[in-house]
Amino acid sequence: MTAMEEYHSGSESSFHSEEADNIVKECIEGVVGNDDYSQSLVNKWTAGIVERCLTQLVKQGKPYKYIVTCAVMQKTGAGLHTANSCYWDTTMDGSSTVRWENRTMYCVVSVFAVAIA
Amino acid sequence: MEGSDTYLIRPNHQYKFKPAIVKECIREIVRERLSGMRYDPEEVPELSRSLADCIKDKVKNAGFDRYKLVVQVVIGEQRGQGVKMSSRCLWDADTDNYAEDVFINDSLFCVAAVFGSYYY
Repeated sequence: MTAMEEYHSGSESSFHSEEADNIVKECIEGVVGNDDYSQSLVNKWTAGIVERCLTQLVKQGKPYKYIVTCAVMQKTGAGLHTANSCYWDTTMDGSSTVRWENRTMYCVVSVFAVAIA
Repeated sequence: MEGSDTYLIRPNHQYKFKPAIVKECIREIVRERLSGMRYDPEEVPELSRSLADCIKDKVKNAGFDRYKLVVQVVIGEQRGQGVKMSSRCLWDADTDNYAEDVFINDSLFCVAAVFGSYYY
């Protein structure tokens, strides 16, 4: 019991969205880079981006559960909007959304971090 | 949500996050608000925000105590482009779950996802 309490009071207890932004940007660039939109590869890309982001976030070792979503859209001049609404503890939990684009596609990645008790 | 002293580390079966019920909630709201809508770049930001809030309120009132909720709504214009959305979650698969629904008409498409995470 006492070991648990020490663990929680020692660590900083809020989500740092700037760190998450950097991690996500690197992951996107690592997976997609300068490739052009391709219908056959898009499945692999979204899965790769999401998995890579998740493993990097977990490496930070913080007591959080993570939800990572990624949307990849071809550039055809169409518009896209995303909105989030969250019911959680605003002191400890947080989210970060990264919008990235290259010549032929848009990529929007959202990370939600929910504290574990 | 204040922390309280409980010794419940798993929800009872009836208080578990039930994807089927949440999917129904999402479906009703989205169909009611978006049927017959056209994509309008002025209105859509407000629309997606209010959809997310509506869905969150409805799921909250469905009685999933001790669940933190994340609702994400994506609305895009339909121009025959390719779109792919995927998500991965690191959580406790016994207690946490998600539900999603997709709505398409000829001028827009809308994806709404609700993720529920149990607060021990």
